[in-house]
Amino acid sequence: MAAMFSQNPVMNGPNYSFSDSPQTNAPEGAREHRFDPYTDNGGSTLAIAGADFAILAGDTRLTSGYSINSRHHPKVFKIGGTTADQHDATLAISVVGFAADGEALKERLDAICKMYRYRHGKPMSVKACAQRLSTILYQKRFFPYYSHAILGGLDEEGKGAVYSYDPVGSYEREQCRAGGAAASLIMPFLDNQVNFKNQYVPGSGEGHALQERERNPLSRNEVEVLVKDAFDGAVERHIEVGDGLQMMIITQDGIEEVLLPLKKD
Amino acid sequence: MTSIGTGYDLANSIFSPDGRNFQVEYAVKAVENGGTSIGIRCKDGVVLAVEKVITSKLLKQGANKRIATVDRHLGVVYSGMIPDGRHFIDRARDEARSWRDTFKNPIPTADLASRMGGYMQAYTLYQSVRPFGITAIVGGWDSELESGVDGEVGRGPSVGAGGKTPGKKYGGPFLYMIEPSGLYWGYYGAATGKGRQAAKAELEKLDLSADGESSLTLEEAVKEAARIIYVAHDDNKDKDFELEMSWISGADGPTKGFHQEVPKALREEAERLAKKSLEDEDEEEEKKEDDKMEE
Amino acid sequence: MDHRPQAWGRPRDDVYGAYDGSYLQSGGPKTATQSPVVTGTSVVAIKYKDGVVIAADNLASYGSLARFTDVKRLRVFLGTSVVGFGGDVSDMQWLDRHLNELAIDESYDDEPSPSSLLSASPNKGHGKLNAANLHVYLQKLMYRRRNDFDPLWNQLLIAGLDAAGKPHLSSVDLRGTAFTSPSLATGFGAALAQPIMRRHAPTEEAAAALTREEAVGVVQECMKVLYYRDARSLDRYSIAVVTKEGVELKEDEQLERQSWAFAERIKGYGTQTV
Repeated sequence: MAAMFSQNPVMNGPNYSFSDSPQTNAPEGAREHRFDPYTDNGGSTLAIAGADFAILAGDTRLTSGYSINSRHHPKVFKIGGTTADQHDATLAISVVGFAADGEALKERLDAICKMYRYRHGKPMSVKACAQRLSTILYQKRFFPYYSHAILGGLDEEGKGAVYSYDPVGSYEREQCRAGGAAASLIMPFLDNQVNFKNQYVPGSGEGHALQERERNPLSRNEVEVLVKDAFDGAVERHIEVGDGLQMMIITQDGIEEVLLPLKKD
Repeated sequence: MTSIGTGYDLANSIFSPDGRNFQVEYAVKAVENGGTSIGIRCKDGVVLAVEKVITSKLLKQGANKRIATVDRHLGVVYSGMIPDGRHFIDRARDEARSWRDTFKNPIPTADLASRMGGYMQAYTLYQSVRPFGITAIVGGWDSELESGVDGEVGRGPSVGAGGKTPGKKYGGPFLYMIEPSGLYWGYYGAATGKGRQAAKAELEKLDLSADGESSLTLEEAVKEAARIIYVAHDDNKDKDFELEMSWISGADGPTKGFHQEVPKALREEAERLAKKSLEDEDEEEEKKEDDKMEE
Repeated sequence: MDHRPQAWGRPRDDVYGAYDGSYLQSGGPKTATQSPVVTGTSVVAIKYKDGVVIAADNLASYGSLARFTDVKRLRVFLGTSVVGFGGDVSDMQWLDRHLNELAIDESYDDEPSPSSLLSASPNKGHGKLNAANLHVYLQKLMYRRRNDFDPLWNQLLIAGLDAAGKPHLSSVDLRGTAFTSPSLATGFGAALAQPIMRRHAPTEEAAAALTREEAVGVVQECMKVLYYRDARSLDRYSIAVVTKEGVELKEDEQLERQSWAFAERIKGYGTQTV
């Protein structure tokens, strides 16, 4: 851990992979690998699908190392609307990881959704958009968007849909998913609270005889409380998470945006 | 013209036996049909003005500008074929930009005039092209200040090479007029287009010297320019027109060295004075005629 | 963010392991590689009621050598916005020329904006691109260059007004990461100046309550603290106030009221034994 923050003069300066002086004879056309195009801007996201809604949430902190660059930098975006304020959007995406890549990815997908809407006279379905997003990510397989994306919307039957991605386009529709710095903190909590993992009917037996608690879809209010609790927990335990909580609630009537305060420490 | 129809006017790059290039002369004719443009160089700036003939009532008022900015300190107005003028402007902008790329400094007005003169001249040389159907008036203010190089980071050396000669004056207002032949001269006052004769007669009455006691100031020049366009419009009375004006002053003047449209309030004031002056003249003439009648 | 531009964008040993450069030693012609050479240190800026105050010192360092001491790192765009540059100075010059070209392109549209007709300041006549627009433009430019593996080694602060006439302050770095905040600082300033500025403007609302005098005072205080603690800094600096009236830029300011009394109390870094 100490080596990570080697600003300490006792440690003989920071340890970077290269000396400051120019070096090497590279073959013609070859670029010397010195510039690291990626960085981690921290933050965390979370999405939960309900019976007739989907919620995407993310904190609004943007970090770089130990510094907080901004306390309000949203990670969740409406996409595919026909106006600048996206009031008629039906889909939302959250991106976390390297902020510049996340921004570029979101802008590309937004442009594609808009184009689809103008051409076909109807908004893109989540399913189609989900596949398209995977293709975008995979096309940049060898210089990936360093971003954990989650797409949310309502499927053809009006049920909440959440699709989660890895940086190179592998994707899956899920009931819920946490992404980003505090994903490993939030995900087990979600397993327990959304999918009722490790919850059994009391007195139903022992060992294999134990009966799992019956899964039933959560209400919108329950989910909102769950999201807030998840982030309050993450803020306590992860330095890169905090400042503000942004929630997009996708329903039949459109997308509602909520902004709640989180601890700023 | 004696040689018309003798075959020497069919192409560029062919002289007639008496040493004329008819294509160029026809291009001048195209200019002489265009709305009047003038430029005035006075001691503290340059004014450009044009009589913009309204060809249709369906055109939006004040839109479709005729005076163009070529670089921050340079403006161009022209009479003649407007598409030719647009291309001239494009080229002038390219020249100004490439000068900056090379020398990291704004292009002096004289150099722009020279390059554009050369460009227009080239269009008199080849069978495959025709000359420009415009006469352009180029106005500019070359900065009198110690101007930094584009992107320069510091003050640079205070002594040594690259300095300016003490006592010598640098920069100031410049005005050039470029004709279809590629000919260009520097002027105190320039006029072209349909009303050029009347305009030139008026321009000659002005004191445009740089240091005279009564030499014109920039603001007076704006008002004179408006008046002259109105006077010159007399030749073209059946058509409606809009007056368009721009100006360039030094760093301590109203435009801070930039080429800009004359502010609306000042332009309207100048137009009011111009109209009044024309009416006064008419009245005087009427009076004279009345006096004659009485006699 | 690490305060030394030399470290920006480098893979860290602890994350990636020491770099094995052996495959590059193939005896071909030398290729020039992007890394900052002559660098500028922090830029600090804070929003206030009517605009933004931004400052940067006038030093360009060559490593630890104070190479140029009269370098202007605040650049005015169209008379309406200011861009503050941290990081490589030659890339700053490239960007400055590029923005200059952009400004000339803007001036071709010669209809002056309504505001310029009302006020005497002529520079803003062409102000169709506001600071918020400029920020987006620079973000795309920087992100594109990082995608080409030919980054512009700078962190920029953009100060001005947005389309609604509200104060705008934002940042872009060499990777195209862009963000906004009531106060911002690049380089060392992110560690030393930001905490001071955030005391005065923790939120947008708090920033909107600051007066011009307060904002200038805070920025001057930050410049002083940076001069005390940043070895690559200078006590001559540039400061600009951007409002809807235009830009007031002073490029040769001297740090006032310095007190080095605190220095005597600092112990524990050197060879001293007591």
